[in-house]
Amino acid sequence: MFFNKNVVIPEYYEFFNSVKVISGYKALETIPFELSRLGAKRPIIITDKGVAQAGLIKHVVDSFGGTDTVIGAVFDETPQDSSNVVVNQIAEIYRAQKCDSIIAVGGGSAIDTAKGVNIVITEDSDDLLKFMGNYRLNKPMKPFVVIPTTAGTGSEVTMVAVIANPEKNVKMVFTSELLLPKFAVLDPRMTMSMPPKITAATGMDAFTHAVEAFIGTQKNPISDAFAAAAMELIRNNIIKAVTDGGNQDVRLAMANAALLAGLAFSNSMVGIVHAAAHATGGVCHVPHGIANSILLPYGLEFYIGKSGKSPKTKEYIEMLLMHVAGPEIYVQTPPAERAAKSIATIKNITSELKKLCGLPVRLSEAGVTEDKLESIAKTALNDGALSFSPVEVSFEEALGVLKAAY
Amino acid sequence: MIATKKYEEIVPKKKWFETLVTRVFFFFIGMGMQTAYRIDPDVKKEVDSWPETFSFRMAVIGGPSMLMLKKEGSFQYLGEKEVFYADVELVWKNITFAYLVMTGRISVPNAVYHNRQFVRGSLIYTMSVIRVLNVVQTLLLPNVIARFYIKEVPKLTFKKLVNRVITYVNIGYGAIK
Repeated sequence: MFFNKNVVIPEYYEFFNSVKVISGYKALETIPFELSRLGAKRPIIITDKGVAQAGLIKHVVDSFGGTDTVIGAVFDETPQDSSNVVVNQIAEIYRAQKCDSIIAVGGGSAIDTAKGVNIVITEDSDDLLKFMGNYRLNKPMKPFVVIPTTAGTGSEVTMVAVIANPEKNVKMVFTSELLLPKFAVLDPRMTMSMPPKITAATGMDAFTHAVEAFIGTQKNPISDAFAAAAMELIRNNIIKAVTDGGNQDVRLAMANAALLAGLAFSNSMVGIVHAAAHATGGVCHVPHGIANSILLPYGLEFYIGKSGKSPKTKEYIEMLLMHVAGPEIYVQTPPAERAAKSIATIKNITSELKKLCGLPVRLSEAGVTEDKLESIAKTALNDGALSFSPVEVSFEEALGVLKAAY
Repeated sequence: MIATKKYEEIVPKKKWFETLVTRVFFFFIGMGMQTAYRIDPDVKKEVDSWPETFSFRMAVIGGPSMLMLKKEGSFQYLGEKEVFYADVELVWKNITFAYLVMTGRISVPNAVYHNRQFVRGSLIYTMSVIRVLNVVQTLLLPNVIARFYIKEVPKLTFKKLVNRVITYVNIGYGAIK
């Protein structure tokens, strides 16, 4: 890699994202026009009970007022863990109501379910198992729109969907560029009702995406730019978003940060923090944002400990200080202390969030019991994110990270 | 006046040398995997955790390939047999990328980081397949060379040395057969 101050140009990289982003006040009102450009006039809205009860669907439906677009159906019973049963049920409604496009309104589950529905409709098959895995899809999908109601997952710009198959007891992972929505809409009204703890957890999820993207093995100047912008937005807004949730400017900033972080990590990839967080979620049902938030500093400490194997990663963690703490602190900190200071800054942010809204900072506070750590470590070793880790991770090392975070 | 020009089809030249080198490496890896299943307990444990009739394919788009099949207690190398579906496929986007990796000029981790190859198929078993490939590479290659191919090379033990000899004998036997 060639260094030019803080910009890293890899000897080779790829960056892809085809999602049009529409962000701002009354952004929802653009949807009918954008759909009509895609030849769609009858979308189905897929969401969950929480979103519907918070009155957010009304904003979306109202945005179609005065246009000739009709809402074909609203499905608001998406469960927390999306499954193929629900996907097939929605696909039937889509066909019966003669819908021609899909709007997902919600967090990860509603968005993943909508992606699954798009597969079933496009491929005209109710057996999702056939399309599981990487690059199994080939047909162009139906017009698909995402309106996130949390500012964290970045699912609106990622090409992954995770859907459970309870019958076969497997979590089906689908990855394909075809799963990306045609456009994503960030409207501050859609994230205003998020309670403080969820705001903190999803915000830290986005922060983790940005941090891991910035030190990721596929990092490149484009992903770096997105990750750096995301970190700056989160650093300046996450506390305000928790303490002043009604502030539209802050909500819009956090929604943008989550999207930018999503763009960054889906191209730069993630590493041990995500592998361990996925496993913690799988084994102990800890929400992904909380697991990421807890594990982030300990994952970085692990990389510093292995800096002999990957000195570049340590350099990236040093550079991280500029974005997690700001340029003043970066300049004031001697180079040899920057990596440790980056981690200390992240720990300060999570400690502050703990004080403000009870965000857990230890696995033990998130309901993980010590006897589960080995099982989590074992699961983490099979997580695809580890193939992008800059260093090899053994079972003992994964367990070490978990014990440090416990 | 419209100039007349004869437009002819251009067929790019075949990269026969790169293809040959990649094909030879695929043969070594395939035979290495088959042998490693019999002699290396870590590989056996991984492969045994895969479902029956699990197939793994390594291929170059429009170029050579190799297929492994788990069947009735064995893990067999089936050469370039074409299949409609493989559970996990490790695909190189171009023969040049495969050639550069096979000749150690791009490390395998870097090829992954650069997206010069991709995985098609089940993500559940991908990490396990990668662990098997890592062991096979340590069996095939001296440690000093293996570091170009994998992130962390394990220490050389007498047992590993013996296994390496067995692997090469098997590959030689496979080549003659």
